[in-house]
Amino acid sequence: MLRRAFLRVAPALALLAACSKSAKIRLALNWKPEPEFGGFYAAPFDKHGLDVEILPGGAGTPTVQMVGAGSAEFGIVEADELLLARSKGNPVVGLFTVYQHSPLGIMVHAERNLTSIGDVLKEGTLAVQQGLPYVRLLEKQYGFQHVRVVPSPGGDLTAFLADPKFAQQVFITSEPLAARRKGVAVKVFPVSDIGYDPYTNVLATSDETLRKSPEMVKSMVAAAREGWRVYLDDPKATNEKMHQMNPSMDAETFAEVAEAQKALIEDDETRKNGLGAMTKARWETLIGQLKDLGYIPMAIPAEECFRAL
Amino acid sequence: MKAFRNILPPLIPFVAITAAMEFLVRGGFIRSYLLPAPSAVFLAIWENWGELAQAMLKTSASAMAGFALSTFTGIAAAVLLSSSRWVQKAFYPYAVFFQTVPVIAIAPLLVIWFGYGMQTVIASAFVVSIFPVIANTLSGILSTDPALRDLFRLYGATPAMTLFKLRFPAALPQIFTGLRVAAGLAVIGAIVGEFIGGGGLGSVVDVARTQQRVDKVFAAVLLASLLGLALFGLINLISGITLRRWHASEQSL
Repeated sequence: MLRRAFLRVAPALALLAACSKSAKIRLALNWKPEPEFGGFYAAPFDKHGLDVEILPGGAGTPTVQMVGAGSAEFGIVEADELLLARSKGNPVVGLFTVYQHSPLGIMVHAERNLTSIGDVLKEGTLAVQQGLPYVRLLEKQYGFQHVRVVPSPGGDLTAFLADPKFAQQVFITSEPLAARRKGVAVKVFPVSDIGYDPYTNVLATSDETLRKSPEMVKSMVAAAREGWRVYLDDPKATNEKMHQMNPSMDAETFAEVAEAQKALIEDDETRKNGLGAMTKARWETLIGQLKDLGYIPMAIPAEECFRAL
Repeated sequence: MKAFRNILPPLIPFVAITAAMEFLVRGGFIRSYLLPAPSAVFLAIWENWGELAQAMLKTSASAMAGFALSTFTGIAAAVLLSSSRWVQKAFYPYAVFFQTVPVIAIAPLLVIWFGYGMQTVIASAFVVSIFPVIANTLSGILSTDPALRDLFRLYGATPAMTLFKLRFPAALPQIFTGLRVAAGLAVIGAIVGEFIGGGGLGSVVDVARTQQRVDKVFAAVLLASLLGLALFGLINLISGITLRRWHASEQSL
């Protein structure tokens, strides 16, 4: 009886053993292969002696938990997500940020002639991912009495196109292009307008991995930085590679998004300190904001949250 | 004493599983941001009771409305389908469509058709719960004892009379089986509907997940399963009352 049970699980055990032997380094993405990850797909990992497997994700892929649990050595997370995780006893640390400024924005129909985010909240419908810190900050600053707040439909534009009073949370590099292509004039207000501007698409690892293999982590960051340099200079080859993995985004959109996101990735800060660099001051601002909004019970030392390698 | 004997068997696995989970999390074998300790889940229910109770009321209203719609439409559809072989061949494949439709995929459309809010949630609960009602009712109506059917014909009963006095009552046990399956599905459908339409336990889960509040996610999930259990119990009660007098499935074991 026991032997039969063993025979049944034996293939699974063998598979487990095989997996742990190959020791690939896993990088978990929180979305499909798209330009926001271009630099990682362009990174020369071999040159740095790394055998990296990039794991594409989808809506709600819990990369922070994956990194904490060790099911991926590296993951792409948002800075606020990382702080939340740390405050819950999941020690994840940021290494390299793709976006210096948050790509989140609120998209509205241009015909409404709105001039600020505050105007958006005066009437109509607002589709946002409820639970995000910026949404609470928005509510705190302006109140939601006059606007109907509904769940975000993700990248889907059906409701937006059907209703001129519909405003929607977007990636400023992505949905506005799609809406314009459908012939709709839109205007986008970056969320950073209200002073909330977390580092976004942050390459992160766990405190444990950083402690155990500091050299490997360092090589990973170096490879990522080189990859992003390559992608910023000429995204064409990488875009083709990603388009094959994710045919639902067409080649033209890949090129457009890659161009549109450049301003968020490279600015005076990075020209001085290098691509992906983060500052203590920016982390401290975010920590203060999350504490004020009640997301974390007490301030976390900023120097624990990120490492400059 | 009888109540105690009924409650004890399901209580034992509950206590055992809860204790084991608590032990695994507290002992550090499972990290609390991956699976919350049961005590943390109960604490989350306690601390957020106002919000959760309100959300649960809203979800139950939508789930019950969707379920009621499924019950009436489903049974009516099955009666129609049973009326002739031809009708059945022509329309049954489209009933199967409801079973296979991925609600998540058509969700944005539901929002466009019914707007944000409760109608979308009810529609979602309806779409996912109607098929088991149709399938079970139809199979029940079609498997009437042929001897009894002959008897009705012999005495010159009209088709309507045969339907209401023989075929429908005889199908009741199977109809209740369909309703039990549909009840659980209606709760799932309502919560999926709330992910996109807003409100209720679905929204609570969505927000808590964004905030990495695993304890609150589980609290909402626990309340949702209690809701499913309550609906299931309600149908068992009705089924017991209706079938007790004549069907083996409801006579005491």
